[in-house]
Amino acid sequence: MKDARRILRQVLVLGGLSIIVAAAVNFPLIKRLARGEFRETFFQAADFPGIRLITLQEAEDLWSGGKAFVLDARAAEFFGRGHVPGARNLSAAGSGIEIPADVLGLARSGTLVVYCEGGDCRSSLALAKLLHEAGFLDIRVFSGGWGEWQAAGLPEEKGDDQE
Amino acid sequence: MIRNRTVLLVFRLVLGGLFVYAGVVKALEPLDFAQDIRNYRLVGQMLSFVAAVVLPWLEIVAGLALAAGIWTRAAALTISGLLVFFILLTLATMARGIDVDCGCFGSLSRKSGWGVIIEDLVMLYLGLCLLLDKKKGQSQLKSRRNPCIVPRIF
Repeated sequence: MKDARRILRQVLVLGGLSIIVAAAVNFPLIKRLARGEFRETFFQAADFPGIRLITLQEAEDLWSGGKAFVLDARAAEFFGRGHVPGARNLSAAGSGIEIPADVLGLARSGTLVVYCEGGDCRSSLALAKLLHEAGFLDIRVFSGGWGEWQAAGLPEEKGDDQE
Repeated sequence: MIRNRTVLLVFRLVLGGLFVYAGVVKALEPLDFAQDIRNYRLVGQMLSFVAAVVLPWLEIVAGLALAAGIWTRAAALTISGLLVFFILLTLATMARGIDVDCGCFGSLSRKSGWGVIIEDLVMLYLGLCLLLDKKKGQSQLKSRRNPCIVPRIF
């Protein structure tokens, strides 16, 4: 019992020490949080020039108006279970993503909408960055992703990539 | 015969080293890690930030303590607790059918799934061996049969 109490006390000390070090090291980030940053997203636009985040409403407008080519950055398995109708699956999971020829063949000035599971998840940002490097000029990351699309009850399509 | 001191030393170095590594890669990119946590869709923006700032340092501090043999059982308890939490989190994510990076090793993370759970279970085994090594206050150099070779702790 005494032993358990001693160990628990040590665990608390380890935890307290971690909090102190974490707060000291991340003080600049904590100051930015206090200034109101990161309330909506952890995405730093400066890191991804030419890429911007869009809301569900904007994504829906672009999709319903047929004004954008939609890319789903999730793994094929998840894409098969449901995706934005007409979207092309281009999984950005893992490294060494290659953009297929049909996507590379699209006009560079055209609008691309990229999404993944939800939040401005890393795979959609990774894909957006790659597309930007490939020369695409208008890449929009739908930050709510599949989770938000589905929760809003918007149309969905099942099955593998139709392309 | 495998001596406890050797096996437990290896366990400590491997598990402590893995946690220090995992903590450092996450501590270098706290905002990326915050986004990984947010993507699990369990906590809000603010809690994701707090967890992303503190969790990597908890891993580093506990990992260093374990590897250095300081407060070994407390460090093993901390790490085991974290691993149990990670396993439950991964199971919950799989049950909800969410496609999410585990966030385990920063940019080297894979998708949450059985592979992640098996890795965590192996690490949990090492952690529990160290936690259940009850000869407190005694030198790790004291040789005795290793209780973890036969996994009777399960």
